[in-house]
Amino acid sequence: MNPVIEVTNLKKYFTTPRGMLHAVDDVTFTIERGRTLGVVGESGCGKSTLGRTIIHLHESTEGQILLNGKDVTNLKGKDLRQAREKMQIIFQDPYSSLDPRKTIDSTIREPLIVSRHFTKSQIDQKTQELMDLVGIDERLRKAYPHELDGGRRQRVGIARALALEPEFIVCDEPVSALDVSIQAQVLNLLKKLQKEKGLTYMFVTHDMSVVRHISDDICVMYLGQVVEKCSSKELFQNPLHPYTRALLSAIPSTDIDKPNKREILRGEITSPVNPKPGCRFAARCPYANEECLKLQKQEEVSPGHFVRCCRLQEISSSYN
Amino acid sequence: MHQKEIKTDMPFLSIKDLKVEYKSDGQIVHAVNDVSLQLERGKTLGLVGETGAGKTTIAKSILRILPDIGSHIANGEIYLEGENLLKLSENDMRKIRGNKVSMIFQDPMTALNPVLRVGDQIAEVVSLHSDNNNRAEHEKRAKEMLEIVGIPAERYYAYPHQFSGGMKQRVVIAIALACNPDLLLADEPTTALDVTIQAQVLDLIAELRNKYNTAMLLITHDMGVVAQVCDTVAVIYAGSIIEYGTKQQIFKHPSHPYTIGLFGAIPDMNEDEEWLHPIDGLPPDPTNLPQGCSFSPRCKFATDACRKEAIGMYKTQDGHDCRCCCIEAVMKGED
Ligand SMILES: Nc1ncnc2c1ncn2[C@@H]1O[C@H](COP(=O)(O)OP(=O)(O)OP(=O)(O)O)[C@@H](O)[C@H]1O
Ligand SMILES: Nc1ncnc2c1ncn2[C@@H]1O[C@H](COP(=O)(O)OP(=O)(O)O)[C@@H](O)[C@H]1O
Ligand code: SF4
Ligand code: SF4
Ligand SMILES: [Mg+2]
Ligand SMILES: [Mg+2]
Repeated sequence: MNPVIEVTNLKKYFTTPRGMLHAVDDVTFTIERGRTLGVVGESGCGKSTLGRTIIHLHESTEGQILLNGKDVTNLKGKDLRQAREKMQIIFQDPYSSLDPRKTIDSTIREPLIVSRHFTKSQIDQKTQELMDLVGIDERLRKAYPHELDGGRRQRVGIARALALEPEFIVCDEPVSALDVSIQAQVLNLLKKLQKEKGLTYMFVTHDMSVVRHISDDICVMYLGQVVEKCSSKELFQNPLHPYTRALLSAIPSTDIDKPNKREILRGEITSPVNPKPGCRFAARCPYANEECLKLQKQEEVSPGHFVRCCRLQEISSSYN
Repeated sequence: MHQKEIKTDMPFLSIKDLKVEYKSDGQIVHAVNDVSLQLERGKTLGLVGETGAGKTTIAKSILRILPDIGSHIANGEIYLEGENLLKLSENDMRKIRGNKVSMIFQDPMTALNPVLRVGDQIAEVVSLHSDNNNRAEHEKRAKEMLEIVGIPAERYYAYPHQFSGGMKQRVVIAIALACNPDLLLADEPTTALDVTIQAQVLDLIAELRNKYNTAMLLITHDMGVVAQVCDTVAVIYAGSIIEYGTKQQIFKHPSHPYTIGLFGAIPDMNEDEEWLHPIDGLPPDPTNLPQGCSFSPRCKFATDACRKEAIGMYKTQDGHDCRCCCIEAVMKGED
């Protein structure tokens, strides 16, 4: 056991005029070195906020974050800067995440300069190495982001994230903007880098075939909470939480002769502002009853398989 | 007064030989090269291709909302109900936008005003298409639209920066649908959404199509979405359509090496593979497209003939269009 990231009861609330918005609510997990935790869930359920809070782009409201066993939750100043170098993020949108006024070269160079760890010639050399590593042509050094297509821009984002040799990277929908052939290149690149450098990833995506391919373990989130967590294989073979099952049934099939047989979710949507204590999926869950209005606890239903649903025992017998 | 050019006996939307260029740093970006396509009412055409392939540019050309500076429609005609949109006055064009034709933008922030509440932005569009001035009614409708795209009505009062990427996208979808357009240009409408909300949005669009006979140009790179939603498919590479046919033709008999590569690159849901199978290489520099077939630098079937002159459209065995002069060799798998 060699956990790089340990998150315990992590909460991130935002203040809104209508009350407290529970973007991340009591999330606990561990990611071992060299492994990938996939995170899926409805858009707006808190995946990006979770990633951003772990790497301190947001201040956490409550809970604890350990990096390599060391508590980094409330670090300040120089200590925080050092910890932050070990934790990076790759954004979904390769368009808005790069500074349009900076050349590719200076974009990649910037974190190296800011860190003040390197001499000018070291920086030159590292910048070159990073560009080679992610496959950006020499001739694009002086190009600006708008001159690049999405695939190349995403490579720049990856090079920049790798500059300070991080141990943990939050990949927030890094391939969503790319078509499948370039997506496959970038996913292979991320996997290769992981093998070579022992990187640890938290990987957010909406593409279920991508998350299945890239993840060792998967967390399914619903309105700020983890509702199911297990190995990638187990999740696809034996999904247990009603939301997970609805999610998997909605994957659009690429087989034109097999239209989807998805479970349609009905019912109103629960607001993340001042949510009630019960199951947040209850308003849309086909199995909901009064029991579901009480606080839901995460239970380990089989080794390594966690589910947050009090009625699981009863309802899972009706699953086919 | 300018002359309106109306042709009858034409498909609902017909694009002919469209060519669009951008100027960047004194160089010409060949974004769209001689694209022709047709779309009937009530039908959905899927436009698939790599980032930078020119998909958004095609959609923006239809609405004539390319940037004023640095972009240029070099050639072509775009007929909507027989009327050439490229010949319309700006005034007439304004009546078409957001009315007859509306667009769901890929980047939601280009369509949303950062300083207005999201609900008000939807209500505004509702009021433009309403025959009364009842603000309360428009707000109510806007709240319904929010719920339809899966956002609780009480979040009407939030500002765009308080929404996640996918939620902003859903607001943009609500706005586009509030107009009940005849033609919907949907640019990666569900890319930022999870599959359950995506399914809901696609259902909603299908409902709209059945009710109002809306035609849709759907830009996406999700082959699953294409399989579930489209009638016809155009695969676009480096600004040109390289394969064009019905969904059945494209999915059952993909014939262009690029299309075949696309299908091969999708992670398999039923298999555990260590590595995926991308198409090697990157899309060409649009300021400097290769001579002959623009896919030739990445194509394992390329011959000398492919690198000489522009490749025309060939008919495949099942009768769809494919821009490849070596279809037979490709079908036999000889490289
Ligand atoms: N304002 C602009 N100035 C210069 N070049 C541009 C401009 N807008 C687009 N381009 C270029 O035109 C080509 C086609 O762009 P377009 O945005 O239409 O592609 P796309 O298929 O929609 O890609 P994506 O999926 O990444 O949005 C690209 O090479 C792009 O870099
Ligand atoms: N700066 C902010 N202020 C208020 N609410 C926010 C802010 N950022 C995110 N939220 C809210 O937090 C929730 C989760 O957002 P996010 O983490 O971006 O979702 P995801 O990445 O899963 O799509 C949403 O309800 C969103 O509206
Ligand atoms: S706790 Fe109740 S409402 Fe929640 S998922 Fe389980 S059965 Fe459904
Ligand atoms: S024309 Fe030649 S290079 Fe182009 S796709 Fe066909 S075989 Fe490949
Ligand atoms: Mg997000
Ligand atoms: Mg686009």
